[in-house]
Amino acid sequence: MWSELRGLKDEIDFGTPPRDGSPVTLDIDDVTVTVSAGSSVMLAAAKAGRAIPKLCASDMLEPFGSCRVCLVEIEGRGGFPASCTTPVVEGMKVKTQTETLQRLRKGVLELYLSDFPESEMVEGWSELHETLKAEGVASHPYGKGGANHFDAPVDASNPYFLFDPAKCIVCSRCVRACAEVQGTFAITIAGRSFESKVVASQDQPFFESECVSCGACVQACPSHALVEKSLFEGEYKHAEPAEA
Amino acid sequence: MPNPLKPEKSVVTTCAYCGVGCGFKAETRAGKIVRMTPWKEGKANHGHSCIKGRFAYDYYIAPDRVRTPLIRASIDDPWKPASWQEAFDYAASAFRRIQAKYGVKSVGAVSSSRCTNEEIFLVQKFARAVLGNNNIDNCARICHSPTQFGLTNTIGAGAASQHFDSILQADVIMVVGANPTEGHPVFGSLMKRRIRQGAKLIVIDPRKTETVESAHCKADVHLAIRPGTNVAILDSIAHVVVREKLYNEEFVRARCEVKEFENWKALVGSNKYAPEIIGPIAGVDSEDIRKAARIYASGPNSAIYYGLGVTEHSQGSTGVMCLGNLGLSCGMLGREGVGVNPLRGQGNVQGGSCLGSWPHVFSGYRFVTDYATRSSFEAEWGVTLDAEPGLRLPNMLDAAVAGSFKGMYIMGEDPVQSDPNQHHVITAMKNMECVVLHDLFLNETSKYAHIFFPGSSSLEKDGTFTNAERRVSRVRKVIEPLAGLQDWEITVKLMNAMGYNVAYNNPGEVLDEIARLSPNYRGISFALIDRVGSAQWPCNEDAPEGTEVLHIGKFPRANGLGAFMLTEYVPTAERTNDKYPLLLTTGRILSQYNVGTQTRRTPNSMWHPEDVLEINEQDAMARGLKSGDWVKLSSRFGQTELRAKISERVNPGVVYTTFHHAKSKANAVTSDLSDWATNCPEYKVTAVDVVRTNGRAAASVQEAERPRIEELEPVECA
Repeated sequence: MWSELRGLKDEIDFGTPPRDGSPVTLDIDDVTVTVSAGSSVMLAAAKAGRAIPKLCASDMLEPFGSCRVCLVEIEGRGGFPASCTTPVVEGMKVKTQTETLQRLRKGVLELYLSDFPESEMVEGWSELHETLKAEGVASHPYGKGGANHFDAPVDASNPYFLFDPAKCIVCSRCVRACAEVQGTFAITIAGRSFESKVVASQDQPFFESECVSCGACVQACPSHALVEKSLFEGEYKHAEPAEA
Repeated sequence: MPNPLKPEKSVVTTCAYCGVGCGFKAETRAGKIVRMTPWKEGKANHGHSCIKGRFAYDYYIAPDRVRTPLIRASIDDPWKPASWQEAFDYAASAFRRIQAKYGVKSVGAVSSSRCTNEEIFLVQKFARAVLGNNNIDNCARICHSPTQFGLTNTIGAGAASQHFDSILQADVIMVVGANPTEGHPVFGSLMKRRIRQGAKLIVIDPRKTETVESAHCKADVHLAIRPGTNVAILDSIAHVVVREKLYNEEFVRARCEVKEFENWKALVGSNKYAPEIIGPIAGVDSEDIRKAARIYASGPNSAIYYGLGVTEHSQGSTGVMCLGNLGLSCGMLGREGVGVNPLRGQGNVQGGSCLGSWPHVFSGYRFVTDYATRSSFEAEWGVTLDAEPGLRLPNMLDAAVAGSFKGMYIMGEDPVQSDPNQHHVITAMKNMECVVLHDLFLNETSKYAHIFFPGSSSLEKDGTFTNAERRVSRVRKVIEPLAGLQDWEITVKLMNAMGYNVAYNNPGEVLDEIARLSPNYRGISFALIDRVGSAQWPCNEDAPEGTEVLHIGKFPRANGLGAFMLTEYVPTAERTNDKYPLLLTTGRILSQYNVGTQTRRTPNSMWHPEDVLEINEQDAMARGLKSGDWVKLSSRFGQTELRAKISERVNPGVVYTTFHHAKSKANAVTSDLSDWATNCPEYKVTAVDVVRTNGRAAASVQEAERPRIEELEPVECA
């Protein structure tokens, strides 16, 4: 339980929390690595120096398995399991970079990109941007006229951060951070399928919701959909102090 | 919308707000701080943060931040900008003149828990080595001085027995007079994590706080006691432990002074502390007292966390001893998951407490009367030190009112706003001939100051903070000090101006001096912290990287045994009557911090623009009040006006407010009673009445009464 918090490294994101458990040894792309039982294949891969691309995973949050970017192949198993939700097993042999995997990941990332504003691709430095770059995905084959969320209104009610649904990939990291890290449960996903969206409390502006403005959701967001206003010049500056 | 601009540089430092002491990365772009992000390797916060540390940092560039020293001959004169040297020389000559006229002991110093360990140490060195007396105190006096006294006398160390993460091993969490989700939010989140995993929660608090019930977190027992009955309720819990033989006899026989245990058993076991007697006095169900005792004693791992709701009482020290006794009797000390832990309010109250900013002790709580300790300081500092304990802050103020105390160096404190019985404090301030205030902003106290040293915020200096779990972490300079000097440099230069020659190249050398002179800090240095991130004292040869859990095997007392103190309940002299039928208690809110010097200058005020008076519907109805009405809150000591808020959080007979805004003047109402042992003021119990009014008389002027620096008339320097 402790290592979940105490094993965190600032410069490394293991993807899932470190665990306390007996040692388990496995091979990731022919690199032998030993991790604690209960750890994910994703964590083992990060430890082996074979970090797997991911969007919905963070080592501060329990694994969720929604983004489908972290798929791997495991010898003797069918399909392409998500490495974040797959626990390590002694002697397991994992492949993280096969041609099939690269094709599958590219396909998933292109789908994300198809609903991400094109203008926001320039000079972006979020985890999503970095992942797209690393996987060599700069365009998608779905054209421009498809359904999207580009016009969803920005929630700038909180003086410190804003939420731009156009850039949201609905990975639930903010929802989980609010629940697991902060313990406030102010954020949820409303709707189903393409209508799914991040909402605060009863679909209220963040400032009027139960949100306590701890910043855990902003910290967790991989796409700068939730982002500090202080990082913008011009329009999105800090609001004036209320008493000024 | 364009993408955000990427920060260029990042410096790992420690948050200067509450006692959790979160690790942060201060990120800058073009020399300006653009973001604070929680540091994942911070052992106090593990990458989590709250609204204050994460977002409320812009106070450092607030327009009314003072950027040049100010001086004036009389408090009726306008401020006059001065050079640093002029200000130092003015202060030095004033202190020396006062000492020549009124005696060596007519001046003193006060440091703050906003200061770094190094600054706190330097201010007490200034008092002892330069002023030549022990008139040095710090703001822990008004919050956690009973902790030091109460815990030292029972378990031997006036500090948290655990590290924060220990709570993840606790099966029972007992929160007494604290509201971690508001006051210590990041620790509150950790606590809630453990409660969601199944730990039981007992809360003793007059108010139904956010800690009592929130999403997926509900107290198994909430003892909503009448303010001022802490000791009664804790003795009654102990009564149940004794009568139902729930105590850990094996632990007591092995680890405690058995005779004292028997004496304690006889006292708390007596009929007068039976829940059926105490329940009606404290205003709670007697069965709930029994339930709380049984849950706590059955553990297997029970941890106590307490706050100012325990300490800020006339029996504050007794309340702390009750908690120490309880931990000892049930064997809830000396391992993971248990313990007795003060939740310290300010970032560095623990540092302020352990680094000798007290009139009677040097760092490490070693008495100034002790020849050997004094000699070690005399050898290091090259001066003869006074063997007589000095004045406590309330006594300095009393002496100032009486006319024998004439000068004070106040670093990072606003006693006029934060200390009890404001009228008395103001009289004291007016009576002094030289008040040197060292702060970021002009504040309530600056109205009575003669010299103002513009300080540096924690973003502008180097040093260390010691958090509520004894963890020493680095404060690192992110930007250059706005007024040109780091706080530690200001104190050193003041010492130099007074003729005491000392020089440090950096505050790391001050920390080295602390390490040489303080056993618990012996192994701590900038180098160690840079290597391991942070370290909890005691840090020495036996524990080169610090100690997480105290009291394993023995207690730090002469014979190594835990001691039971007798904790007879003595009701406070502050009583309700027909004229003042309600009890006022005070607390904090998440978005504001203490007297609000920092947070009120940020958008955090959008969440809490003013202090309000929480009142139960029943009491409100009797007075014809509705939420939003202006009310006059009056006590035997003073009065103020606030807006009322009808709230289920307080029981009938109790009203509650926060003290974050100067204009609320909450401390004009609070009593001047204080803890019998340590003088810690009784902020938590004041008999009051509430009546409806037509609005705050001074509402229109509000903050405007505080002049901004740019509005001050420039005056030629002499």
